[in-house]
Amino acid sequence: MLAAEEDIANKVAEMAKGRGATIFQTVNAILEEALRVNNMGLALKEVIDRRGMLEKAREMGLTFTVERLLYQVVDTAYDHANKQMSQLWLEEGRWYGNYFANKRDNGLEAFNEAMELLTFGTSEFAVEEEGENGVSVACVGERFTQGFTDLFSMFIEGVFEALGYKKVSREVSKGIIRIRFEQSR
Amino acid sequence: MRGAPEDTKLIVVPSRLVERLRAVAGRHGVLLSSYTAEALEEAIRAEELGASLREAVDLYQLMQIQKGANTVQIRRSNLDHLIRELYPTNGEELRRIWYESGQWYGAYLRTKLKDDDVLGFFERVLLVSWNLDEVEIRNDDGDVILRCTSFTMSLENTDLILRFISGVMSSFGYEEMTKDYMRGIATVHYNLIHNK
Repeated sequence: MLAAEEDIANKVAEMAKGRGATIFQTVNAILEEALRVNNMGLALKEVIDRRGMLEKAREMGLTFTVERLLYQVVDTAYDHANKQMSQLWLEEGRWYGNYFANKRDNGLEAFNEAMELLTFGTSEFAVEEEGENGVSVACVGERFTQGFTDLFSMFIEGVFEALGYKKVSREVSKGIIRIRFEQSR
Repeated sequence: MRGAPEDTKLIVVPSRLVERLRAVAGRHGVLLSSYTAEALEEAIRAEELGASLREAVDLYQLMQIQKGANTVQIRRSNLDHLIRELYPTNGEELRRIWYESGQWYGAYLRTKLKDDDVLGFFERVLLVSWNLDEVEIRNDDGDVILRCTSFTMSLENTDLILRFISGVMSSFGYEEMTKDYMRGIATVHYNLIHNK
C-alpha cells in the first residue's frame, strides 16, 4: 500500500475512470513509467515540461523542419525576391510581437520563451535590458546562412517593433545578429 | 483507497513494485511517498496536456532524436509562403533540396536508431513533426506502402514532402516504385533494394 494525498488520489481515480481502467492498473502503469523514465536517466518534470512546450508550439502554428532544408529554402527565396522576403519576415515578426504582447504582461519574457521553441537550441540567443529603456538582442547561429541571418534579423526587428521598441543600432553578418532597441512608447 | 490519516488515501501497489520504487527513491535521497506523489502529479499534469505519461515519455524521446538531427521550428504559414513563392519558378530546385534533406535525415535516423524500428519511428516523426493528420507505413517483408493525409497541405507541399519521404526511404534502402497523390493525400509504394 502507498499513501497518497486525497486530491491526488481523486484525480488518479478520475483518470482511471476516463480510461476505463481500474485505479490499480492506472497507478501501476504510472509508477512503472516513472521507473522507466528514471532508468533512461531523465526527470519526469523535464519530460512533461517538454510536452507542454510542444503544445505551445502547436498553438503558435509552428511545424518542425530540418534546419539545413529550411536554410536552403530561405536562401533560395532570399536570392529570388530579397525585398519581398525581408518584408514578409518583418511582418511575420510584427505578428508574433503582437501575439506575445497579448499573451503576457511582459512581452520580452514571452519572446524569450518563444525563441527557445523556434530555435530548439540550435542557436544561442540573449536578450538583455540596458538602462531604463534599452534592450540588446544577440543571436549566434553557427549554421545560419547569410540569407537566413538577414531574414531572421528582420523577424526580430518586427517583434520588437510590435512590442513598442525602435531600432537604435544593427549589426548583422553571416550567423551573427546584434540589434539594440529603445522603447518608443 | 480508504486510509487512516486525514486527507490521505491508501493505494494498492504490488509489493515488488514498491520495493523497486523505494530503491530508486533512496538513490535520489527522497522518501518513497514523495517520489510516488511526484510521479502521480506529473502523470496528472501530462493528462491535462492531453497525453498519457507513456505518450509524453515516447514523445520526449522522439524530440531528443529530432533535436540531434538539428531540426528547428517555423511557422507553418511562413513555410507555405516560401514554397508558394518559389515553386512556380524553382520547383525542381526545391524538389532536389527536399529529397537531399530527406536522404541526410534518413541516414541520421539509421545511424541513431541502429537496429530499432526505423520505419515505425519515421511514421511517428511524420505525424508529430510534420503535423500530418494521418500516416500509415505498412511493411510487408520489404514491400512498403506509405499512406499519408493532411487536411491543410497544398499540392506543392504534398509534392515536396513526398520528395523528402522518398529521400529518407532511399537512405533506409528502399526504392520508390509507384506514387499516387493529390492535394494533401498520397499513397507511395516502395521496395527494399538493399539492407543498409
